[in-house]
Amino acid sequence: MWGRDVAGLRLTFHLAGINNQNFLMRDDQTGTYWQQISGKAVSGPLSGSQLPFVHSDELNFGTWQSEEPQGTVLQDTAQYRFGYARKDWDVRMQRAPTVIDFREHGLKARDLMLGIQAFGASRAFLFDQVIREKLVQDRVGAEPVLLVVGGDGQSVRAFRDRIPGIQGAPDFYRKPDGLLVDATTGSDWNFQGCAISGKFKGLCLEPVEVTKDYWFDWRNFNPSTTVYGRK
Amino acid sequence: MTNEAQSIRRISVAVLLTCLALSLICVVYPFYVIRPFRAQGARELAAALVVMRFRSAATFIAVAAALAALVFYWRAQPRRWRRAFATAGAAFVCILAALARVNIYEMMFHPDDRPSFAAASRTKLDKDEKVIAVKIGGAARAYPIRNISYHHVINDVLDKVAIVATY
Repeated sequence: MWGRDVAGLRLTFHLAGINNQNFLMRDDQTGTYWQQISGKAVSGPLSGSQLPFVHSDELNFGTWQSEEPQGTVLQDTAQYRFGYARKDWDVRMQRAPTVIDFREHGLKARDLMLGIQAFGASRAFLFDQVIREKLVQDRVGAEPVLLVVGGDGQSVRAFRDRIPGIQGAPDFYRKPDGLLVDATTGSDWNFQGCAISGKFKGLCLEPVEVTKDYWFDWRNFNPSTTVYGRK
Repeated sequence: MTNEAQSIRRISVAVLLTCLALSLICVVYPFYVIRPFRAQGARELAAALVVMRFRSAATFIAVAAALAALVFYWRAQPRRWRRAFATAGAAFVCILAALARVNIYEMMFHPDDRPSFAAASRTKLDKDEKVIAVKIGGAARAYPIRNISYHHVINDVLDKVAIVATY
């Protein structure tokens, strides 16, 4: 998700091409081409510019609705309803061929990954492994991070594993209902990363953007990525 | 007069062929490089994007030059079948200019230029349907993946912040 205000212009984007199965957008105002995964301008008058980052999460609708009952939802356009995917689109797409492959870390091109690009580093986590482990405490670059599976068993969020006033990275464990508990004070933390009880009630962990992507695409645009649990 | 006519014919044919070649490159090269199930190299992609950026202007000039060459050719060429060939060539340049203005990706994945939104409570989605969720200020919005994976790009404004949701 990207902001559209760049260089004093409000840009409007359209799908305009593809770069190794990651699409390119073109803005109507300057004709610049932008890479979807990175938000970088790759050709045109704004070449080299970066779209402002906007944090987003990939969640199950039920989880999002319970968090944001007043939220609004993009509606289907009747004339294109025939073209919309089924709800397991990302799983179905795992059967589609790819044009590039990176045979590294024992991963297949269409393995679903959770990628984090932050703190000067890139790190990928096999989605199925995170779902199995439910709580992953790891580092991206030098920074400790948490990957947490929500109560629905499918939604994943990541946070910087730092609590203001606490030295180092606090240990967490996850209750079966998805709540986190920090080992330092026993405070409960919800799936939004906010303490809802205990000493830290009201504090929130800093969210970290997670990109759900296929291995080939993540690796192509993050050539120096490391992979959790793999050498 | 004969030599002059011959010279005009030669120049006109050269201009027409140049326009045809230029227009063909403008349409075919990006289409060849940027097609879905083909790996794109960095250099060829960069070249294709440059062509795409300038092809509207380039093919416009090609059309103008081809039509001008056609007029001169008609005046200097009495044979009808040769005139017909030249006309067909100029028409092909015009067709290529029109094709250069077509965004084939938008034909495949129609843009949703007027996205509409409804309250979460009035939206009929299964609980396990995946959405891209964003919250800005006090405003929260969800983009169902089965929808956005078709359109791929949604230009939106949330809490007065202009955003583009992509998938």
